Amino acid sequence: MNKKLFALLALVAILSTVLASCAPAEPEVVTVEKTVEVEKIVEVEKTVEVEKLVEVEKLVDRRVVLYNSYMSDPAPREADAEMVKMFEDANPEISIQHSTVAHEDFKQAIRAYLTASTPPDVMTWFAGNRARFFIDKGLIMDISDVWESEGWVDSYPAGFKAMSSVDDKQYFLPTSWYWWAVYYRKDIFEQYGLTPPETWEEFLAVCDTLQENGVTPIAIGTKYRWTTAAWFDYLNMRVNGPEFHINLMLGKEKYDDPRVAAVFNDYWAPLIDNGYFIDDPAAYSWSEALQFLIDGEAAMYLMGDFLRDSYPDDKEGDLDFFRFPIIDPSVPVGEDAPTDGYFIAANSQHPEDAKAFLGYLGSVEGQQYMADTLGRLPTNMDVDTSSFTEMQQKGLELIQGADFVAQFYDRDTTPEMADEGMNGFMEFWANTDKVADILSRLELTREEIFVEE
Amino acid sequence: MDNTTKKFFSSPWRSLGFFLMVLITMIWLLPFATALLTSVRTNDDILEQGFIAIPHEWTLGNFRTAWERGGLSRYLPNSFYITIPALLGTLLLSSLSAYALARFQFRGNRLLFFLYVGGTMLPFQVLMLPVFRLTDALGLYDKQLGLIIFHTAFQLGFCTFLLRNYMRTVPGEILEAARIDGCKEFRIWWQIMMPLTLPAIAALATLEFTWIFNDYLWSIVLLRTDALKPVTAGLATLQGQYVMDWTVIVAGALIATIPTVLLFIFLQRYFIEGLTLGATK
Repeated sequence: MNKKLFALLALVAILSTVLASCAPAEPEVVTVEKTVEVEKIVEVEKTVEVEKLVEVEKLVDRRVVLYNSYMSDPAPREADAEMVKMFEDANPEISIQHSTVAHEDFKQAIRAYLTASTPPDVMTWFAGNRARFFIDKGLIMDISDVWESEGWVDSYPAGFKAMSSVDDKQYFLPTSWYWWAVYYRKDIFEQYGLTPPETWEEFLAVCDTLQENGVTPIAIGTKYRWTTAAWFDYLNMRVNGPEFHINLMLGKEKYDDPRVAAVFNDYWAPLIDNGYFIDDPAAYSWSEALQFLIDGEAAMYLMGDFLRDSYPDDKEGDLDFFRFPIIDPSVPVGEDAPTDGYFIAANSQHPEDAKAFLGYLGSVEGQQYMADTLGRLPTNMDVDTSSFTEMQQKGLELIQGADFVAQFYDRDTTPEMADEGMNGFMEFWANTDKVADILSRLELTREEIFVEE
Repeated sequence: MDNTTKKFFSSPWRSLGFFLMVLITMIWLLPFATALLTSVRTNDDILEQGFIAIPHEWTLGNFRTAWERGGLSRYLPNSFYITIPALLGTLLLSSLSAYALARFQFRGNRLLFFLYVGGTMLPFQVLMLPVFRLTDALGLYDKQLGLIIFHTAFQLGFCTFLLRNYMRTVPGEILEAARIDGCKEFRIWWQIMMPLTLPAIAALATLEFTWIFNDYLWSIVLLRTDALKPVTAGLATLQGQYVMDWTVIVAGALIATIPTVLLFIFLQRYFIEGLTLGATK
């Protein structure tokens, strides 16, 4: 009996070694050259013989930069890897150790990364308040010299520079951003003789017509709460103006202000109560709710431009977008345009090479590649936009025509406030008559969070 | 109808029970069937038709994508590099400590035993920060060795508890006889106790292998570099912010279950024996 057992154990062990040994053979089939690179590193680290390691390093003689990225969506992931490869080709003496981490995990893990004694050198992160959080704790390296030497002071719009600065020093490199808008089905609009609405009255009329014809006007999936925050951002900016909105985000205005209540009671609640949104949105994630738009059961969807990444390619021709309708023409126009970028850890072990890599990420060449591949918009004004698609041009105009650009609810305010706020939006969705209760509770939270600071 | 089948339908209650059993099995297998279905579809197909539907086009490409571009070809070996040393380490150390706790009378024996048991009661999430700081301070952060040491230490409590109880069922006379013949303690442990404990160790090995192999939390806390990650953490990197590559993730997950399934097929008998360990004395 025991012999049998040992035989089985041995079999398992052999199986595992076979599996392990077929790994290095794999890259021969792989055409992506980056994978081969990583395999090499694995091999080197696995073979415990130190001599070999030294040998390989001598042969290649490349300095290492650790780069951790949250670009885990399929398309950005590939583009990200390609960028790393392009940099390595241009700088053969530097090798990037590139790790992609699931987006949600990265947001948690970054706290470990930044406090570890050997942190990743370069990391992806969000512009605005989210970056400020770490900068204020002294965990992020001052990269004013890179801004200076790369000439970004001139080639980046002042708004992006301000976004990256604390006390006139730059800590962050914003590289790409995308717009939010109301996406709609052109063919359905044509079928019922509708045109994209510009004002709130027109928008309500469009909703009415669609509903009469058995089409749910608006799709939304609130399984993950942030989709509701987009509606709050836009309604609040359109009704009360972006200045009030951003002050609310910074804790300088009160949630129980009658102006906030008006957003809920006069604009948001009627949309929900009239059944303009799909039924049971909490049952769907945003991408599951996209189904309604694809099937033509719903006609509009307030979403970021990443919506197009998920839309079936052969049906994208039916898709277009319009600016969130204007409610009060006297109020400046604010838009959401979340910006992503990079920073360097304060205790980075390879600061000079990390800065070189950062310099490439922010350069015209790097940004041009990302813009052309992913359709996101570049921050560097020297990037040639003539080759952009119609959609990109339209998105660019949308944001350039705005008086103010916000990041997004959960990026503009503190994480704790955003968490409570989005809970509030969800509760409101289910009980549109409880606005006063919800807002007074949010006000209590706001006081607690912002008094502490 | 053969005899067994006849027996099943011998009374209406029996056949009702049988059909209930089939029904529950089918419900139980539904998620797995969905996973299989998803792994042979395309993302666009899922978006257009929803998760449960007959696909317009079938493809095995997802398995290839998961293996090559999804990086399973390096994550899977990593899983073994971590699991096997950790498993061997735990079993070796816990069988030693279990032997001592089961067979030697000394002051603090009970207390030590309760420490082991108490350690397993601790929800491991509370250890996250201290373990991270300790690993970082020891220079083991972002090294597979750190993860191996952690798993070994963390599983020690449960294994010791189980093996100690099992070893107590071994009649003391056998050990006495060996001792009288002049056998050293290490040899008693290795040549007498270990063979007698083998069923328990085999059962434990199956369990522990699955636990360590399936660990996700610690591999994302203690590792930073993609090239070092085991399959669980590696697969998770395929989850995007907005777009989930469901088909590839599911295909990868199916590949990742193969080692565990193989292990269960081969060690199933010991595993079931292990479930009733200590039930009778």
